[in-house]
Amino acid sequence: MKTKLFLILIVVCSPIYSQQIDFNSPQNIKLFADFLFCDKDYLRAIEEYEKYLKVIDSDTVKFKIALSYSLMNDQYSAFQKFSSANNSSTFYEQSGIEILKSLYLLKEDSLFYLFSNDLINSKSQFSNNAQKLLNTSILMTEKKLPDENIFFKPFENEEKIILRKFYNQKLNRPYKSEFAAGIFSAIIPGAGKIYTSNYGDGITAFILSGLLTYLAYTNFEHNHPTRAWIFTALGTGFYAGNVYGSVASAQIFNAKVNFDFENGLKIFLEEKNYFTPTYDLCK
Amino acid sequence: MIFVNKKIVFFVLLAIINLHPQTSLQQQFDTANELYNQEKYFNAITELKRLKLFDKENLYSFQSNLLIGKSYKAGAKFDEAIKYFTLAEMDATNDEGYFDSKILSARTNILRRTTKQAERILNELKYDSRFMLKANEIKYWQGWNYIFSDEWDKAYEIFSTNNLDTTLANLCKSVDEELYSVEFAKYSSYLIPGSGQFYTGEYISGALSIGWNILFGYLTINAFVEDRVFDGIMVGNFLWLRFYSGNIQNAEKFVVQKNLEISNKALKYLQFQFKGEKP
Amino acid sequence: MIVNKNILLAFFFSLSISANSQTDWVRWEKSDGSYQIKDNYLDREYDLSIESGSDIIVKPVINTYWFFISDVDGANCPFQPSCSSFLVQSIRETNPFQGIIMFFDRFTRDMNVFGRLENYPIYGKNHFYDPISLYTLDENKIKIIPASTFINE
Repeated sequence: MKTKLFLILIVVCSPIYSQQIDFNSPQNIKLFADFLFCDKDYLRAIEEYEKYLKVIDSDTVKFKIALSYSLMNDQYSAFQKFSSANNSSTFYEQSGIEILKSLYLLKEDSLFYLFSNDLINSKSQFSNNAQKLLNTSILMTEKKLPDENIFFKPFENEEKIILRKFYNQKLNRPYKSEFAAGIFSAIIPGAGKIYTSNYGDGITAFILSGLLTYLAYTNFEHNHPTRAWIFTALGTGFYAGNVYGSVASAQIFNAKVNFDFENGLKIFLEEKNYFTPTYDLCK
Repeated sequence: MIFVNKKIVFFVLLAIINLHPQTSLQQQFDTANELYNQEKYFNAITELKRLKLFDKENLYSFQSNLLIGKSYKAGAKFDEAIKYFTLAEMDATNDEGYFDSKILSARTNILRRTTKQAERILNELKYDSRFMLKANEIKYWQGWNYIFSDEWDKAYEIFSTNNLDTTLANLCKSVDEELYSVEFAKYSSYLIPGSGQFYTGEYISGALSIGWNILFGYLTINAFVEDRVFDGIMVGNFLWLRFYSGNIQNAEKFVVQKNLEISNKALKYLQFQFKGEKP
Repeated sequence: MIVNKNILLAFFFSLSISANSQTDWVRWEKSDGSYQIKDNYLDREYDLSIESGSDIIVKPVINTYWFFISDVDGANCPFQPSCSSFLVQSIRETNPFQGIIMFFDRFTRDMNVFGRLENYPIYGKNHFYDPISLYTLDENKIKIIPASTFINE
């Protein structure tokens, strides 16, 4: 009788206990952390993963923490976390290529070259990726470009097509000569600016200089010396300004060429995610 | 005897536990609420997101979405706040909850200065027959919406009707009276250059304006009178017209600047010294 | 320019996707957000401090010009910094002679009303950004900002 009562009570009370969720159990913490990671809420995901690591050691979790830092663009922390993966880690090779990406973004040139060479010479499945990133990075520096065959070897066909434009441009930058711009404008006001593709400014400079010269000339002819000298002074000023401006515009043109080149490469690398693999961590 | 005592203790304990069956979900919500009350909004949101993940039957989805929205609002992250208030609105289980989430959404829109959206939400509530008893509250926020969209006269109308809020009504009235009229400044400057600037108290600028306009006006007309048409056109176009249009520009600019100062002073008072309910 | 459009597109696209999640990538605290409206006037830098030799002449002249003429005839320069500010800054950065030549060049660009959108970034509501650092003939100072990008300092 008493045992039956006891059992009935247990049965009645147990549903209440089965509804109890232990939010702080390691598996629930990991479940929540994975959810946050896939929701791109990386800072919170990192905090939860760190809590998990205090209890259970896991290579995947350590890798995800590092990846979260990288995706939030905190490359320094990402580098530190990726570097802590050792040979026995399941994500050792992936960490390698991610370290290379972080070093590239942190602009740590010497470390980047050292590490890329290490990675290329190792038997990692990502050696080719490392070679791709290294070759692309050479385009951004002043270093001598390797021969075509060597340069394009690691890339796929569609990548080769895009990179060929950059490769050719690197060999023959379409710069304009500042000296030539100056000379052209000295001979014909505005010509230098037209040479540097500032057509509107060139024509305006030509018209202004021409107009003021004409006004100065007619005023000298009609004996209005003060006005004539004013127009002469202004004309000289605009003429000098036009020569100076042409030289400056050639400089700006060249700076724009550099800017477009670097920016184009940056966009290409971002699209390729710096040749790191895509991970299947969120189904 | 001892055996009987243990059983009694055991049954008493079970009874106590049965009387207060706090589920873990409720406990989690209470934790998050406690964090919210302690102003630890970032952590509160973390705990609420945790609750939402494990709340498979969506028993707490309305409360958690609402509280997440309120946390974001308290941290001035208005876009996220509105997103969660909208989610709460969709999950609302009763009219009260629906009203709360919509009003909070309207208030966040006011703070974010997206006043058209706030107006739309408040109008929806106004014409909803379920909330006839809440008309005063809706009107109150409509008044605040007018304040934030710089329509102090309309705000005054709302706050003064049926004495909704006399402090705010008086404030809106005084601001509205202090504000300068852009049209008046512009049109008086069209007629008499410099008068728009005098209107806003910029006497030096007004005097300079009127001086230059008189000078170049005289020179232009003089040139035409003396049949020096080309000179007249040159002076008229490059000098007189320039100072005349500059005068109109300045008249408007000073009004806008002064009005902004007046509005900002009132808004500063509202933010830091007004004791009533704020968005 | 194709490259520039790509940048803008990529920027706006990434904004729309990650706008919500990015807010929580840094811990934030309680904040009230200001009720006051921000004013964005392009105020004159009336400033009588003498920082170099040429300032002794340039500053008083320019300040007089601004007070009596420029502030009264309205905002006529489509560029930021305005033409007179450009003159002052260029004289300060280089020397009076070079500064004046830079000013003549700037005036020429001011006269050219065509093609501004394709050549200059946009500053505020209706000005174009044209700093002196592009024209000092010092390559290291040149910082390219693509045309039609919005700048809001």
